[in-house]
Amino acid sequence: MDDLFKQTETVNSLLARYGVKFGIYKDGVFKEQLFPFDPIPRIITKEEFEYLEKGLKQRVDALNCFLRDVYGEKRIIKDGVIPEEFVFTSSGFLKECDGIVPPKGIYSHISGIDLVQAKDGTWYVLEDNLRVPSGASYPLIARKFTRMASPATFKHYAVEDNSDYADILRRTMDNVNTGGINVILTPGRYNAAYFEHSYLAERTGAILVTGQDLTVEDNVVYYMDYHGGKQRVGCVYRRISDDYLDPMVFVDDSVIGVPHIMSAYRAGNVALINAPGNGIADDKGIYYFVPKMIQYYLGEEPILHNAPTYLPFYEDDRRYVLENFDKLVIKDVAEAGGYGVVFGSKLDPEHRELLIDLIKREPRRFIAQEVIDFKDLDILDDEQRVFRKADLRAFVLTAEKTIVWRSGLTRFSRNPDSFIVNSSQGGGFKDTWVLSR
Amino acid sequence: MSNITTEKANQLFWLGRYAERVYTTCMEFFKGYDRMIDEEEVSYPDYCRRVSIPNVYVDKDDFLRNYPFDDTNPDSIISNLIRAYDNAVVLRDDIGSDTLSYIQLAIYDMRKAALGVAPLIGLQTVIDDIFAFWGCLDDRVVDYSERSIVKAARRIERIDLYLRFRMPADTIAFEVNRLQNRIVRTGLNYDQDAIPRLRNMLAQDEVPYADAIRLVESMVDV
Repeated sequence: MDDLFKQTETVNSLLARYGVKFGIYKDGVFKEQLFPFDPIPRIITKEEFEYLEKGLKQRVDALNCFLRDVYGEKRIIKDGVIPEEFVFTSSGFLKECDGIVPPKGIYSHISGIDLVQAKDGTWYVLEDNLRVPSGASYPLIARKFTRMASPATFKHYAVEDNSDYADILRRTMDNVNTGGINVILTPGRYNAAYFEHSYLAERTGAILVTGQDLTVEDNVVYYMDYHGGKQRVGCVYRRISDDYLDPMVFVDDSVIGVPHIMSAYRAGNVALINAPGNGIADDKGIYYFVPKMIQYYLGEEPILHNAPTYLPFYEDDRRYVLENFDKLVIKDVAEAGGYGVVFGSKLDPEHRELLIDLIKREPRRFIAQEVIDFKDLDILDDEQRVFRKADLRAFVLTAEKTIVWRSGLTRFSRNPDSFIVNSSQGGGFKDTWVLSR
Repeated sequence: MSNITTEKANQLFWLGRYAERVYTTCMEFFKGYDRMIDEEEVSYPDYCRRVSIPNVYVDKDDFLRNYPFDDTNPDSIISNLIRAYDNAVVLRDDIGSDTLSYIQLAIYDMRKAALGVAPLIGLQTVIDDIFAFWGCLDDRVVDYSERSIVKAARRIERIDLYLRFRMPADTIAFEVNRLQNRIVRTGLNYDQDAIPRLRNMLAQDEVPYADAIRLVESMVDV
């Protein structure tokens, strides 16, 4: 593998040349930044992957059952498994989606499940991302260049091919397509994940569109061409959030959405990937209940563990959180992207008191988790191997059946003192190798 | 014509124009640079006038250093290259990552050349990248009308610049023939009388360059 490490600079310069960047706004100015790639892969053995695969399929299948239920009969609430406060007060629950059954009853077609591995080898699920999870394109394109940079490495290690992501994604779109073309709906060039939108469009053969390229007539979505011709759209892999998807239903001054697309969706004339309203299932508060969902819907014991989590909403949990504040990580359920995550031990007395007060006043807004002693991964830093915190985003795609992509995005913190691995906060990424034997 | 939107047609068109602008202005810059090595009198103000850019340069050395490389100057060669990139980056799914990568590479090479001791030699690499871009476009862009839009735009830009540089009429006429063969395949709305009129202009003893430039500029509706 040393052979591969020697090519780090070449691989990174190829990634730069191919536009593997993400955009951020700093002081109101858009900037494109490279996403630093580390050549030391995360290696997952065949047996370990088989375990993860079973657990991830189980988890995503249960989450899909939950979404079907919560926007349908709401049995899980009626049966007292999840308190209704956790559903109806969540900003992720969209009343506009209540009663809508998406094509083939699938809500989360592409799920990004974030996991970490503790030092004892136990895997924990940290977050379920069921809205617009991003990141698959990075290991996909990095693999292409690392294979070019060091064929000998790949000859030596039996690594599962990850180039099938685009095929799996296309099948996922085709599976729910209601008749017409597949499109990927992007907010545009200045979105943080624009590289991914355009790269996946290229690789899947879907047409990359912005909101203004689509129109809805008689509850049917059309793509408008140069001469004013219309082509029916059967599936929209939308990479914009629910809020901006349809200005007639959600944020009314959205200029990146498609007016009336929700009407077409409600009429069953177009598939939206992922379904609007999925935010309820990846709400950090609902996360606590996922193991219970698995038992409730599938009648199985959860294979994968949640990180030990407490809900200050419950009095016992609140007491525990306040008594053990310094050894917990507190998360604001309304935040994402690594924001709103606070380690109790790192707060100064003033901020500590402020947060405690806020937890008491708005207990539903927070969850608290035990700090997991992550198994650090080594990265190359100026040719030296150093250890850093890292997570794994596994991609789980649901079409005729649920499939776990035999790769994943491993993100790491470049700051030795940080647990935050998000690219927007300076993190880098690694390829994830799943061994085939 | 394939099912592309008006916006994409516009982006393909301007990708072709800016990529060609970088190429032809680089080539003209080479010639001018070479002349200015020896000449007493400076010719860059005339160059600026011909390509309709303000002469913001203090002297010959300022022009030679900043006209290609100053990305804060909207009329520099690198600014045109960045505009080519701005159009290309939103066309990845149409032109392909490989084709796009040559434009990105040209930007990197342009920046590298700016830092080098022999910028002119460095610019040769940019020319290589642009040629690779055209080759890749030909090879990878399967959609015939999309490819034709970029290539027709390339010809239009070249004719426009050749007219500005007062190139010989037969050199320009050759490009007009190439444009005629290409533009019919784009599916774009264009002024079908423009090409015969342009030919007539080029056949005159005194070519009405300014009129010809106006005609070329307004030929296509994108």
